[in-house]
Amino acid sequence: MDTKVRIFELTMWPHMRAAYNLARWLVRNDHDAEDIVQESFLKAYKAQESFRGSEAKTWMLSIVRNTAMDFLRRYKSSTTMTLDEPGYEPQDDSPDPERVLLAESRRDQVREAISHLEPEFREAIVLREIEGLSYKEIAAVLNIPMGTVMSRLSRARNLLLMELGGSKEVQHDLR
Amino acid sequence: MTCGEAGPLLHARLDNELDMAGTASIDLHLSDCRACAGQYAALESLHQEITVADLAYTPGIALERKLAARFLQEEKSPSRFWSGSWLNVSVITAAAIAVVVAIVAIPTLRTSRETDAVAAEILDNHLRALQAVHQVDVPSSDQHTVKPWFQGKTDFSPPVPDLTKENFILIGGRLEVIHQQPVAAIVYRRRQHVIDLYVSPSAGADSKTELRELGGYHLLRWTQNNLNYWAVSDVDPSDLRTFADLIRGR
Repeated sequence: MDTKVRIFELTMWPHMRAAYNLARWLVRNDHDAEDIVQESFLKAYKAQESFRGSEAKTWMLSIVRNTAMDFLRRYKSSTTMTLDEPGYEPQDDSPDPERVLLAESRRDQVREAISHLEPEFREAIVLREIEGLSYKEIAAVLNIPMGTVMSRLSRARNLLLMELGGSKEVQHDLR
Repeated sequence: MTCGEAGPLLHARLDNELDMAGTASIDLHLSDCRACAGQYAALESLHQEITVADLAYTPGIALERKLAARFLQEEKSPSRFWSGSWLNVSVITAAAIAVVVAIVAIPTLRTSRETDAVAAEILDNHLRALQAVHQVDVPSSDQHTVKPWFQGKTDFSPPVPDLTKENFILIGGRLEVIHQQPVAAIVYRRRQHVIDLYVSPSAGADSKTELRELGGYHLLRWTQNNLNYWAVSDVDPSDLRTFADLIRGR
């Protein structure tokens, strides 16, 4: 058995679920999330020699994150140019407090609220609250200082609290 | 400390990112300031809600197949890393990991005793359960459903505490045979990580917890009140210890 193949399997494959979860939260649909994960694994595989000493999980997740962000940027610029273009329909990303309030279960409300955070806040929440990464690990994935991790989490959680617990008036004031 | 200074630190406190001095100073402020204490309680309950909601998306089996197919295409223009048989690639599935773990584990076991053999069997069982469609025979987050389920199936009564507050979420239970012995497996979840707690009768005296590592997984073993316990997971060993302490404390 090829040692390098095996090392790749052992170090990267265990993070497939986390990779998919992050991608799915960032691009917000299954199909694109799968593409992002495939592209990321390919990048990781090709770049595995540059993987030295850092942690496999944060390394993999940072590739996923950058790939997803590139995708979102591409999508955004293409939609601003061709607004009337039919076809590709991503999830609606306009802020919609009603939707959050109307969601059937509390679980759906929480999911909706996170889903409608701006990507920079969403990724911080997903990495911390769902993946359970430390500030240091999040800083490595997002390539930002730890202080920024803390302030993003702080902002993200306050937004969530307002969305999930606050009144409509409060939400309108903030938007 | 002012409330302005405390603001971001509330999050660091919640996320266990503060050192002892930092924790002490924020706790002091919280005991003085009702507004910040209220904010902290709200943050804690948000954290709790997200944990309980189990919001992680899991990839489908189709993605694994697609990944294999994708790498297969790469094989057509062989890179120097990917020069091995593509069969290796097509089996990058969770199953392969289990096999590789076994390969890694077995040589170290040769030299060891029966407990090590049991450890390997436990890990093997844990890994197989992780790949299975259903990890439990009785899926329930209610301890009062899971615990009675074992009655009549085992001649001992495994503890099934509710550890939701401590962020260990009960998933359910299943019956296993390990080392020719019926064993109750109680399944908890910590974020993405599944923890299997294997419980079987023991004639031995109570013992302290004993940690071992196999192929990146951690196993904690102890004996208490004529029951033998094995907790196995890929969670952080400190989380596994916390888990064991909670079980032992009950």
